Amino acid sequence: MKRLRLLFLLPTAGILLLLFAVPLCILLVYACMTRGAYGGTMPPFTGENWLRVLDPLYLGIVGRSFLVAGVSTLICVILGFPLALFISRSGTRKNLYLSLVMLPFWTSFLVRTYAWMFLLRDTGLINTTLQAMGVIHEPLPLLYNWWAVILGLVYGYLPFMVLPLFSTLERLDPSLLEAAADLGARPSQGMLRVMLPLSAPGIRAGAILVFIPCLGAYLTPDLLGGGRTILIGTLIQNQFSNSRDWPFGSAISLALMALVMLLLWIQVRRKGEPLL
Amino acid sequence: MISRRRTLFFLGLAGAAGCSRGNRLRLNVFNWSNYVGEKTLPAFEAETGIQVRYAIYESNEEMLARVMTGNSGWDLVFPSNYFIGPMREMALLAPLDHSRLKHLENLDKIFQKPEWDPDLRWSMPYMWGSSGILFNTHSGPAPQKWAELWTTRFQGRMTMLDDPAEVFGAALKKLGRSLNSSSDEDLRSALQEALHQKPLLRAYLNAEVRDQIVAGDVAACQIWATTAQQAIDAAPHLRYVYPAEGYALYADCAALLRESSRADLAHQFLDYLLRADVAAGIVTYSRTATANAAARARIPSAISGLNTLYPDAETLARGEWFAPLASQAQRMRDRLWTELKSA
Repeated sequence: MKRLRLLFLLPTAGILLLLFAVPLCILLVYACMTRGAYGGTMPPFTGENWLRVLDPLYLGIVGRSFLVAGVSTLICVILGFPLALFISRSGTRKNLYLSLVMLPFWTSFLVRTYAWMFLLRDTGLINTTLQAMGVIHEPLPLLYNWWAVILGLVYGYLPFMVLPLFSTLERLDPSLLEAAADLGARPSQGMLRVMLPLSAPGIRAGAILVFIPCLGAYLTPDLLGGGRTILIGTLIQNQFSNSRDWPFGSAISLALMALVMLLLWIQVRRKGEPLL
Repeated sequence: MISRRRTLFFLGLAGAAGCSRGNRLRLNVFNWSNYVGEKTLPAFEAETGIQVRYAIYESNEEMLARVMTGNSGWDLVFPSNYFIGPMREMALLAPLDHSRLKHLENLDKIFQKPEWDPDLRWSMPYMWGSSGILFNTHSGPAPQKWAELWTTRFQGRMTMLDDPAEVFGAALKKLGRSLNSSSDEDLRSALQEALHQKPLLRAYLNAEVRDQIVAGDVAACQIWATTAQQAIDAAPHLRYVYPAEGYALYADCAALLRESSRADLAHQFLDYLLRADVAAGIVTYSRTATANAAARARIPSAISGLNTLYPDAETLARGEWFAPLASQAQRMRDRLWTELKSA
């Protein structure tokens, strides 16, 4: 029986090893080598790439990426919580609403990001409508700024917040809120002191699922930010294309990965609970 | 019953595919997008019986990363002129045999002895282009110089290319230097120029700017001539300018990979591409600038006379070909680019 179980695990383990562990090891080797003049890597082995990661210029980019990902995650919590609560209370329509949340995944993320560009630009739908209504006379600069980037990230990753929150809120026993009311809690107190603490695991899981992809996002900041700013995803991508500095690109990706894992580990240690 | 018939059907297909693969000659060509016409490859296959496996790439770096290993499976690639030298130094290229390229004389005079490969030993110029300024004629008189993209005239309504070589290249031209300058001092001054310009810009955009300048969001932009021509085709009130201080030129050239064991077929294909009728068919379809003078003479003057694609001799003399940058300078430029983006 036990052997059979192992046998069934084998394909997954094989895929993980081949597509995750092996590339990671290659990155690690690359990160310790010297940049080839036209891409690729050369001997000798060096620690220089790791030192470069600590350059204030690149640390600044890391900091900015954390800020953008943090703000996006916060907005996702604020928007996602009421939505998840609503869906968890909507009885037989639950499945319909959940499918609606997932609906955007049916089309490519790239196409959806382009759609945002069509909405936000000067001659886009929003600006032309507002101008036609006489609300504004000059088009608003909606595209190519920080808010456009954050909007794109929130839009893209909101479902990842709603789904874990929904499953936590759905399991929440309504009688607990009734008990709080019986004991004299106003609805807002019941919400803040009963529901919120009990849904913390869902918020945490959602926040992790949103924050990490936002941190490494490359497409959205590039398309909606118009290349005026640089976040860590674009920095890494540049190293493998235009800059042709594979060792440095490998070093930044691994450093970012290590940093995220460290933060998650601290979180687990502090709470003593499983992460997701 | 159904599943059985289906099995037989697939077996039949596999057999047919196996046959054709065994008997037919194959050539593997890796090229930029929009660089052959609809009929270019089928006509070649029908004429010679050689089957062409054709794929496209979007940047020199992408192509180089694939062929760098030396066993990529490709026979012909089309690097830009400033990639020929480096690829030759990396021993990736095989010399061309001119005796098998009968139509080489069809190339334009300026491509018979290009500075990056004077004997055309390693490369066959194919398509070329420039980067200049595209602007909306409704917004006033034509900007004549790069310097006008540093004024408030188009503030918030102009873009530069999202490419360090292009942005710093334009800044260096504005300063009266070579766009290939690799001195620390020049690159730093280019960064200062770019930093001054950044607050005036809407964004750094490559091909995406086309739709925005057509729609009117953008009034002036740094752009590649091929993209500019597509924009002008859609919006005739746009005009392309070759800046007075000078501008960048590139040429994408066919090159034979050393790993290729099909040099014969590759030369046959290159000579086919050099034929005036074939090259004319390609540029009529793709509306890019051909290096083939005989082909240019054959295409409708409405295309061959397009100033955006084909500058006159005097304008051409102002252009400067991109050259490979030394490793150290390349690294410096990338760092400065990150500084520009972070500012």
